[in-house]
Amino acid sequence: MSTAEALVLPATRTSVTWRLLRSELALTFRRPRNLVMMAILAAVPIIIGVVIRLVGSEGDAGGMIAQTAGNSLMLTVVSLFVLVPLLMPVAVAVVAGDAIAGEAGTGTLRYLLTAPAGRGRLLAVKYLNAVLFGLALTLTVATAALLTGLVLFPAGDVTLLSGTTISLGEGLLRVLAMVGYVAAGMAALAAVAVALSTFTEVAIGAIAATVVLIIVTQVLRAIPQLDWLAPYLLPTRWTGFDGLLRDPVPMSEIWQSLLAFGAYIVLFCSLAWARFTGKDITS
Amino acid sequence: MRTGKLVRWGVPVAAAAVIGAAVAAGPVIAAVGSDPVLPERTASQLLADAAAAAERQSGIQPMSGTVTKTASLGLPALPGADAAGGDSPLALLTGAHEVKVWYGSGERFRLALPGEMSEKNLIVNGGQAWLWDSASNTATRLKIDLGPQAKHTPPTPQPTDMTPQQVAEKVLADAEQHSTVSVTNTDQVAGRAVYQVSLAPKDPSTLVKEIKVALDGETYVPLRVQIYAKDSAEPAFEVGFTQLSFAPPAEENFTFTPPAGVTVKDQTITGAELAKTDRMDDMPALKTVGQGWSTVAVVPFELPSDAQAKQAVDSFLKGATPVSGTWGSGRLIKTKLLTALLTDDGRVLVGAVTPDKLTELAGSR
Repeated sequence: MSTAEALVLPATRTSVTWRLLRSELALTFRRPRNLVMMAILAAVPIIIGVVIRLVGSEGDAGGMIAQTAGNSLMLTVVSLFVLVPLLMPVAVAVVAGDAIAGEAGTGTLRYLLTAPAGRGRLLAVKYLNAVLFGLALTLTVATAALLTGLVLFPAGDVTLLSGTTISLGEGLLRVLAMVGYVAAGMAALAAVAVALSTFTEVAIGAIAATVVLIIVTQVLRAIPQLDWLAPYLLPTRWTGFDGLLRDPVPMSEIWQSLLAFGAYIVLFCSLAWARFTGKDITS
Repeated sequence: MRTGKLVRWGVPVAAAAVIGAAVAAGPVIAAVGSDPVLPERTASQLLADAAAAAERQSGIQPMSGTVTKTASLGLPALPGADAAGGDSPLALLTGAHEVKVWYGSGERFRLALPGEMSEKNLIVNGGQAWLWDSASNTATRLKIDLGPQAKHTPPTPQPTDMTPQQVAEKVLADAEQHSTVSVTNTDQVAGRAVYQVSLAPKDPSTLVKEIKVALDGETYVPLRVQIYAKDSAEPAFEVGFTQLSFAPPAEENFTFTPPAGVTVKDQTITGAELAKTDRMDDMPALKTVGQGWSTVAVVPFELPSDAQAKQAVDSFLKGATPVSGTWGSGRLIKTKLLTALLTDDGRVLVGAVTPDKLTELAGSR
């Protein structure tokens, strides 16, 4: 390889990756199925907000409902808390589980592989696409909740779970941190779904397997005798964003959760890579 | 192709190995990286050192940390334990619980009981105390009014009520008479080198195999208490710090201003009430039989007249074994650590003893 080639090649490679990712993202965010899922999830905070507005203000409703009625930011927290355990993971699983198996199922995988991209890069692009979908989904839900909250409830200082009051600006920062945390959790799930996706040529199989895994881990979490197992399960970590509502924020626990997400990503991406780079592509 | 396959699958296997090693070896790495091993001490030397340290420091140093309690007593599912919520006394008998502790100098501390999307806080700053419950959105201002004739110093709640300190003192008190006491100096609790005092009962009829108390190697503050049952490698009950720092906690922890829009309640605890809880006046006459480790508490018992409570007791007793002897008959419940006998003549015997010993003691009145 000459020096000139060596200089040119990385640039070309990067641009191929970018082109591939752009086209993947365009496909993902134009797909009606994905858009409908995002719209439904974005509707949840609006429904919760309207219900609390109509019902929560009367009587002596306590806790989160009372806090939501008292502050616009709390609706975002409540909405994430409702959606993160099951609905958002299912939506991410649909996109990530479809990544490889979907292409294989429709017979387009071999055409994708004729492009000068290489399997490893295609896998990386597919995974990144799923991660970005997870982030976009979280942002959509948070934005819908924030806007609904601002319309329906008074804005002002935010009361944390520990009883401390912080300013609206700091509250917004904490909500942003929550979005990052939840997106990281979804990225960990996307790794699991993409890995499963490389093992089958039926997209719905990979999606269903991921959803079943989520439900099984949720059940395992509920069994008190398996308490020791809970810290290693993704759903336990997902709701850990409530730590950002405490004072002081338990940073060690949050780092631990992010490390756990990272461990899931490394393990399942390497599994997907090992499987996908050695797979016989027949369709 | 074959070797290629091997190399490829080697990557996830290696990733799994690294993650597994990181999960398992975290504590080991911490142990290697920290202070050298503590000098050897006998039990009496250690207790003397601890007493001297306590005198010198006149109380506990400022600290903060997380106390975790786990209990796997092998209890049958307690009726109402789930419904009563995570912090009811019943629920504390099973599973794992976590309390965060901040302790400043003087009578200032904060306890936080984090729940999923909720938190309970007790903040005590001198004579002022607040109880904050985010789930019900209420702040309670606690006032301790001892009245004019109160003679004893106010029993200010210490963080030690929730930390292993109190438990440890009780355990160490009647040690040598009935137990074999030994000390090790190689363990670690919450990243700190500790002396581990072990008490193994000499009495063969108790269910307790061993009680271990870990004392901080530097400050001699008890950091962990573990109770092991016979035939079990894991502790049946454990309370101790999982995270600990002796840096003085931030002052914000000890101040509390009720947030806008919450219910604020006032509650005054009078001296009479405190004295009552101290002496447990409303407890039915408590009697003990047996000695040392096989001491058994005997409490008169009456089935509750309330239909709902009666049903709960009945469903709980469904799993009990019927037993009888010269003393009469009753129903026996055995857990890993405790055995309870409900006799038909209205007594409850509870002790950390084998069922045989308990039924034998039921005869002695």
